[in-house]
Amino acid sequence: MYRLFLALRYLLTRPINLLGMAGITISVWALVVVVSLFSGFLQVVEGHVHAASADVAVTNLPPDLPWPKLRAALRDDPQVVDAAPRLLHFGMLARPGHRPPPAPLPGRSALHGGDQPFLFVQGVDPQREAAVTGFAAWLADPAIPAELRSPAPPLAPAADGTPTVLVGLERMRREGLRPGDRVVLTTAQVVRDARGGRTPTKVQIDLVVGGAFKTAHGGFEGNTMFVADATLRARLHPDQPDLVQEVAVAVRDPAQLADTAARLQRTVRATLERHNGDDITAYGVVQTWREKNGRFLESIEHQRGLMQLVLFVIMVVAAFLMLATLSMMVTEKVADIGILTAMGGTPRGVASVFLACGIVITLAGVAAGLVLGAVTGVYLEEVRQAVRWATGIDLFPIEVYNLDRVPCAIEPAWLLQVAAMALAVGVVVSFLPAWRAARHDPLVSLRGI
Amino acid sequence: MTPAALEAVAVTKHYRLGRQEIPVLRGIDLAVAAGESVALLGASGAGKSTLLHVLGLLDAPSGGEVRYDGRRVDDLPVRERAALRHRHVGFVFQFYHLIPELTALQNVQLARMMAISPLAYWRGRKQARAEAEAMLARVGLQERMRHRPAELSGGERQRVAIARALLARPRALLADEPTGNLDSHTASGVVELMFEVARQDGLALLLVTHDEELARRCKRTVRMKDGRVVG
Repeated sequence: MYRLFLALRYLLTRPINLLGMAGITISVWALVVVVSLFSGFLQVVEGHVHAASADVAVTNLPPDLPWPKLRAALRDDPQVVDAAPRLLHFGMLARPGHRPPPAPLPGRSALHGGDQPFLFVQGVDPQREAAVTGFAAWLADPAIPAELRSPAPPLAPAADGTPTVLVGLERMRREGLRPGDRVVLTTAQVVRDARGGRTPTKVQIDLVVGGAFKTAHGGFEGNTMFVADATLRARLHPDQPDLVQEVAVAVRDPAQLADTAARLQRTVRATLERHNGDDITAYGVVQTWREKNGRFLESIEHQRGLMQLVLFVIMVVAAFLMLATLSMMVTEKVADIGILTAMGGTPRGVASVFLACGIVITLAGVAAGLVLGAVTGVYLEEVRQAVRWATGIDLFPIEVYNLDRVPCAIEPAWLLQVAAMALAVGVVVSFLPAWRAARHDPLVSLRGI
Repeated sequence: MTPAALEAVAVTKHYRLGRQEIPVLRGIDLAVAAGESVALLGASGAGKSTLLHVLGLLDAPSGGEVRYDGRRVDDLPVRERAALRHRHVGFVFQFYHLIPELTALQNVQLARMMAISPLAYWRGRKQARAEAEAMLARVGLQERMRHRPAELSGGERQRVAIARALLARPRALLADEPTGNLDSHTASGVVELMFEVARQDGLALLLVTHDEELARRCKRTVRMKDGRVVG
């Protein structure tokens, strides 16, 4: 009983111990808030990326792909809703006679896009694309003003027969484009010569701006334009009327996505093998939307991991503050160690008094940090607004990331991990002064030396 | 014949300083019976306090035996020696050694807390408090229970220390220069109190002192010199 009683008395009568507790509280609070922010951000970004992607994409297809056969094979799978063909190219879009606007500040590419002149040119069949992605919703986004909207049906040729192009809303605004504007897409076609060499040749395609599209994933919207697949096929692959470079697939149950993708991978391999006896192992790669955007999503997860590491180091530093105050207390309490021993205390019992001090400080710090962290997480957007109102500093500019509020996902498992980490650090750090107290010779203080 | 409450049999004690061995106790034989008071007299460095610490199981002898009620106790494991120290002996020191964060009452209650679990203490907390209050009243501090050591005089602090030493109802009271830090008037009151409680409770009282007058009040005086009993 004396261990807990003395530990509490020591703590309550020595306000300096609040320093150690404050250190633990702040580090736990920071771990909860920052990691919850990153988790929330990751969830939101994953949602944005998924909204701008097909559930599954089949890439790396051979040039002589039997598209109708592959589509039929894919659609035979009970989980597949539909499959849509795509052609993929790079290109630059320019208005003849207009000076291109200066590029926006670099550094936004992955999240926001639009900071480089080259765009992904996706050749799509608008009807099929709308069946497998949110293509129709991207064109009907309420953020697109009426004067920039594409007339239905999308990607239909202009009145004079010129093919149309759909451009991301922000790029449309930045470059002052409007539906009906004439633009030139500059891209390249690989031409094979008689000796089998491959020479890229510049190709320019006259287009008319059809309208704007908008997705929550700024990186996709800013770096992509849509052209009818028939247009690209006719200008860039006139001798390959069945060419498909990517297949976008929609599935029924997202919860079974991984299993479905694995099954589709087998289906694609089997279809290609039946079509061509050559080595096709390098062809027909099936990726889920998460795998396709893996590097990007991993980079955010990696940042979250780094923040966890940095904040854990801060927690250790905070624990050293507790070590300092506990060590000071042991030095001041050597007389008490003597009398406790005389009254029947063992070295282990004396050590327990100081260990209990450390554990109580840690528990109080962890509890306060968890509560404060959870409350801050829940009201993170309000905190951001309050800080901006008071100081003018925007801690998290949500516009940059296409968000309407600061995201935050408080995961109970993470709270438990933080509590366990902090307790482990607290106990380890408290052990040192406790061990010192246990080793102290009680006779030294009893003799009054 | 009733065995002695405290007994040292051929006790030796030496400390090591590098390769040198410094003898402090050189074969001490001493027995203190229940109800007996013994004064240990001697110059500084004679080994009085060391003998007291060895007899109180705070220090281990280098040779010989320490016996409580005829049972050898110096070779027991650490936990058992600590428990025995709690039950069998009470200490009173020259510098009181009260815990400054606790009130007089809490300092005395601490003696009850030493040997029991939080749950057991919680169940018997009212009785423990009543016992501590009674003990403080017995040493004349019923009005000063809620004062901290810094708010008490030297004599009052020593009375709290005596109350603390007696709470566990020990068989022996070991006092190391209990009046060394007190003026003569206060010292007289404290000594009177110690003898009174020792007599009432039938304690074996071993008193380390330089004060010949105080030693004369004990039933027996033992003189030490250079680690030996000389008279």
